[in-house]
Amino acid sequence: MDGVQEEAIHHTALKLADEIKHLSIYKSFYSDVQKLVSSPNVEKENFKQTLQQAMKEKGLDTKLRNTVFHWVRTQSKHCRLDPLTSLSKASAQWEKRIHKSLNSMCTDLETSLAKVRLQSEQDILTEKWSELSTYNLDLSKYRPVYAPKDFLEVLLTLSGYVPFTRDDEPKWEFAHLPLKVNKIDQLRKLFPEWSSGEPLLGVNPYMPSTVPGFSTLEAERISLGERVVALGYAPVVQEYLKKGSPQCLRAKLWSNVLGSDIKAPQVQYFNRLKKNVLEVDLMVDKLIFKDVQLTASNDDQYFVFEDLLYQVMLCFSRDVEVMQLLKGNIGNPPVVTIKGKQTSPESLTAFPPSGIIPFHGFTMYATPFCYLYDDPVQLYYTFRAFYVRYWHRLHYISTHPQGIVSLCLLYERLLEANEPLLWVHFRNININPIRVVFKWLMRAFSGHLPPDQLLLLWDAILGYDCLEILPLLALAILSFRKENIFQVNTLQNVDAVLADLSTISVIPLLQLALMKP
Amino acid sequence: MNQEAKKITNNLYGRVNAPVVERCRVNFCTDLEKSVLMSNFERRGWNQVGPDDEWNFYWASTQTCRNLFSVESGYRMNDNQMINHFPNHYELSRKDLLVKNIKRYRKELEREGNPLAEKAEVALHGGQIVTRYVHLDFVPVTFVLPADYNMFVEEYRKSPQSTWIMKPCGKSQGTGIFLINKLSKLKKWSREAKTPFHPQLTKESYVISRYIDNPLLIGGKKFDLRLYVLVTSFRPLKAYLFQLGFCRFCTVKYDTSVTELDNMYVHLTNVSVQKHGGDYNNIHGGKMTVQNLKLYLEGTKGRAVTDKLFAAMQWLIVHSLKAVSSVMANDRHCFECYGYDIIIDNQLKPWLVEVNASPSLTSTTVNDRILKYKLIDNIISVVLPPDGVPDVRWNKLPNTEALGNFDLLIDEELLEKDEPSGSHSRGAKSKYK
Repeated sequence: MDGVQEEAIHHTALKLADEIKHLSIYKSFYSDVQKLVSSPNVEKENFKQTLQQAMKEKGLDTKLRNTVFHWVRTQSKHCRLDPLTSLSKASAQWEKRIHKSLNSMCTDLETSLAKVRLQSEQDILTEKWSELSTYNLDLSKYRPVYAPKDFLEVLLTLSGYVPFTRDDEPKWEFAHLPLKVNKIDQLRKLFPEWSSGEPLLGVNPYMPSTVPGFSTLEAERISLGERVVALGYAPVVQEYLKKGSPQCLRAKLWSNVLGSDIKAPQVQYFNRLKKNVLEVDLMVDKLIFKDVQLTASNDDQYFVFEDLLYQVMLCFSRDVEVMQLLKGNIGNPPVVTIKGKQTSPESLTAFPPSGIIPFHGFTMYATPFCYLYDDPVQLYYTFRAFYVRYWHRLHYISTHPQGIVSLCLLYERLLEANEPLLWVHFRNININPIRVVFKWLMRAFSGHLPPDQLLLLWDAILGYDCLEILPLLALAILSFRKENIFQVNTLQNVDAVLADLSTISVIPLLQLALMKP
Repeated sequence: MNQEAKKITNNLYGRVNAPVVERCRVNFCTDLEKSVLMSNFERRGWNQVGPDDEWNFYWASTQTCRNLFSVESGYRMNDNQMINHFPNHYELSRKDLLVKNIKRYRKELEREGNPLAEKAEVALHGGQIVTRYVHLDFVPVTFVLPADYNMFVEEYRKSPQSTWIMKPCGKSQGTGIFLINKLSKLKKWSREAKTPFHPQLTKESYVISRYIDNPLLIGGKKFDLRLYVLVTSFRPLKAYLFQLGFCRFCTVKYDTSVTELDNMYVHLTNVSVQKHGGDYNNIHGGKMTVQNLKLYLEGTKGRAVTDKLFAAMQWLIVHSLKAVSSVMANDRHCFECYGYDIIIDNQLKPWLVEVNASPSLTSTTVNDRILKYKLIDNIISVVLPPDGVPDVRWNKLPNTEALGNFDLLIDEELLEKDEPSGSHSRGAKSKYK
């Protein structure tokens, strides 16, 4: 057994050694090490030890460790074959529908998917880049391609593909899918900090510290967090985030754990994305404008950041790296010709280059970052890293345990097992309980929770590196409001009971859901 | 979210979660039938009466309040009557008097040799060195026109590049305000004001203040803060700060270029001004909560500077109140809720712009309505004794539950009492002594 494991590690190490050469940091890292080798600190006689020591002192050691950490995280998850062909079939059909709808929108509006921007238009766009809210576009005829509601309808048809149904199982949609999800006892083990009632940030701002020398838990966490930031070692940061981050350190901690720190190459790359936005007019741009307008611009938490969001979302659509990083997870975008460009390999583009078609509310994946970064480039890379690691799973069909289908199923099972009366109530009033929480899950609660609470929730997603927190929170909110839900019997009124989450405290609710009575 | 759903939810969750207070026989009278007021009075089971009846609680206009207290009216209030203004609130709320009182307060402290009145030389934007108070420099340099014209010109010459803002003393909501960056423009204005076509202007006095031309911008836009401060007594000073203030944003990107000097959508944050701009949004009304401002500043600029800014704002409020405490008619029947307008500059220093004694109770958005409803609810529970019946003999020491969303800013009586033992109240800070 040990031998097999060792061999596996050896195999991974070889793969890592090979792949690290293709990572963007390799060149500068290699030259840093070379410089170090020629410094007097490294002795020829005791080469290995002195070099390692010198790397530690220079911080190269942490850099290398973080690189390995981020590399390993990207490896483990995909490369797995979809065990349910029915799901991949549904996913392909859904993708086709989206593309069809885009094409017909183009035909109706007599425009094309991609065309070269006129010089005059480029000039205006360049001038208004930092205040795109004043860029005049007639968007009255543009509609979001799909909304969470439409996506839910697609997910609800999935059960139809499943060949078997067990008689003893209620005929709730997701219950038929042969996917394995955790039970509440397993979740308790997954989130020990919550289930054991440890002191956490986000419970009570005046909670006293148990460590001598600190008056409050917050002061204690800030002090510890400052040391974690200084250390800069991603696995430690991840561990730290489980108990919540103080807002003043969050920006650094998040970019560290996601490996989204920016250096000159990242700035250059962002500027290339911007250049592409300025030069090429993609139909998806209008959808992005429309989405920012429909969501952030009308939201009292985020309207201030409108101009920042236009930049970030437009550049995101041009980012080929997103598509590369998510290969196999997001389908295949069509390749279209850019009208007005001379025929060459460059006149073709994936539509859009990122492969991601925004849905109604897509911008909400990026909005909370506005409370952490005021520089668009920093905001961009942390948002992108978050998207690539988590958010895409919320709007693509897959059997991944962190995918939206599994999360819906988890929610259903949790509700049935832990709030049987609510479950029965939903059955009696003939409402599928997923309907009342789906938009929360699909947007990871963004736009539903106030930003301070949302950031605490996302701390936990990063800390535990999982999305199962979302259905768990949905369950907790329903439990918390159940007395009000029992009093209503239409979908509209249940929605009304759950519409305002401005008084919800996320962390205490999650604790409550997991702590044994 | 759909509007209908939002409405239902607000009924379920938006409101202050308080049970219907046991019905006391309180008669209220109001000059203003705003829904945030009426719904609060109704929830408490109060009984509406006219101004000539036996009222216990009067939500009056400033004019009514002045009339009641005037000698001619001959009205005498009994111990079970309270009113929502101090008779000479204008010492704080009139732009010229506020500045006059603050100047006098600083001079008095200086004369006493109080360390608070310490002065130091600071460099202005343009590089000129001027002498300023270290701890009490929280209102932009201001003069009253036409009275202080010569003093203004002297100050103007020190930094001729700076912009000044002219405001009529007695008006509000941004009316009559304009910016000046040349002395000639002021001269032209004064000539025009004296023409027979504008006889009313000659009588009116203006304040001219150094314009904060380096405001903190968020998302490229300028904003100011509206904070609510409740004063239940001026001697000893008892004041509370409402936690739920908000920022009011301009709809247009901030631009200091001369061509934009006359574009008031760039410079003035007043909702009454911004409402007429093409980009005004009815859903959020250009308003963001102070809690979110704090979250943003902590996230992007760090904890220490954010805490310092919020402490400086409390400092500013306390000292503006102390500056008028000696001249206020400190009637036991009165309390008052002030709307403080504050601008933060890009060095994260807060500046007091003005104080409003009748802050708007009109709700522009759903969240605005919730906020103002809570404000009124909390004001009533702070100013009334625990049994809910107005009584001026009460010691005006509300318990922690009664504070709601108010934090104690200062209570000189408590400070005195607690001197040796330390304070037991939330937010009481001895540094304001």
